[in-house]
Amino acid sequence: MAVGKSILNESRDIERAVSLIQLGARLQVLEYETSLSYERLLRLYKEVAGKSPSKGQLPFSTDWFLTWQPNIHASLFLNIHEYLSKTSELEEIDTVIKAFRLYNDQMTASSIEPILSITRAWRLVKFVDNGMLTLTKCNCCGGHFVTEPYENRHFVCGLCQPPARAGKGAASGGLRLH
Amino acid sequence: MTRRWWIPDVGYSRLPIQVFLPLDKITHIGSGVASKSPATLTPTPKEHIMDSEQLLAEIREANLTYLMLAQNLIRKDRAEALFRLGLTEEAADLLGMLSTAQLLKIASSNMLLCRFRVDDDLVWNLLTSHNVKKVDNATTTQLHASILMAGKFAESMAAH
Repeated sequence: MAVGKSILNESRDIERAVSLIQLGARLQVLEYETSLSYERLLRLYKEVAGKSPSKGQLPFSTDWFLTWQPNIHASLFLNIHEYLSKTSELEEIDTVIKAFRLYNDQMTASSIEPILSITRAWRLVKFVDNGMLTLTKCNCCGGHFVTEPYENRHFVCGLCQPPARAGKGAASGGLRLH
Repeated sequence: MTRRWWIPDVGYSRLPIQVFLPLDKITHIGSGVASKSPATLTPTPKEHIMDSEQLLAEIREANLTYLMLAQNLIRKDRAEALFRLGLTEEAADLLGMLSTAQLLKIASSNMLLCRFRVDDDLVWNLLTSHNVKKVDNATTTQLHASILMAGKFAESMAAH
């Protein structure tokens, strides 16, 4: 992100930061993706969101993306992200923003609670870039799903072969099998 | 004399109806009407022309709506439009540059310009919730279909 001091770049960074804050991103994401200083980002955050950013570490585990319901959401997001990055030459963070908006649209259309946050989505893309997670083709439906990189050739996705307890949680707004 | 029977008089009011409209007469009138109506409903050549003209008008309208929507989407956000429309980059660029006159000209064709996006039995089955084995929740199968569709197109784009 070392592009030198340019007012144009700065205005683009602010614009990006604003969209990210509106989507609910954590401050760490903004710090990583823009060249704005921490103080300016903090002020911007308060101005846009009307509250102080939440503190603490970012979710750092890849496990969350592999549990049944989050895996479906993450897979949808990552498929959209792949599509966008293959068809359009956008900067990485813009692809994430657009893919996340499209994912959100789909959730609204199907009236499902969007359980993937922008911070998680951004993190997921980073995990995939670093080879900690990958998309694997399901042997049953041919769809691509988020898995660990060493998944075997006979991988079957959680929708073709739901695990025993899938869709039985008490949480409302979650995915159901029947 | 007959006219007097129709006057809603307390004494006579019931009798004339029974006399003038016996059951067999009603069925007779009814069958008469029924036998006449098919004759008026058989399409004459003129109506045939009207029918196909209307269908053509509907195709033109659908084309125009599609093209205008596509153009709006492309001009608003090209990357998003590519995903939503499932078009190639070349097609999207072309569509985005069309003038209104060109748009109208292209729309007035006897063929529909937008094509069916699902060319896979599995996705189709998921979308219509037919033939699903383990999951039969509409929302979940729809999500499955979305994942497959997004993935399919990413694959086909990579091949281009």
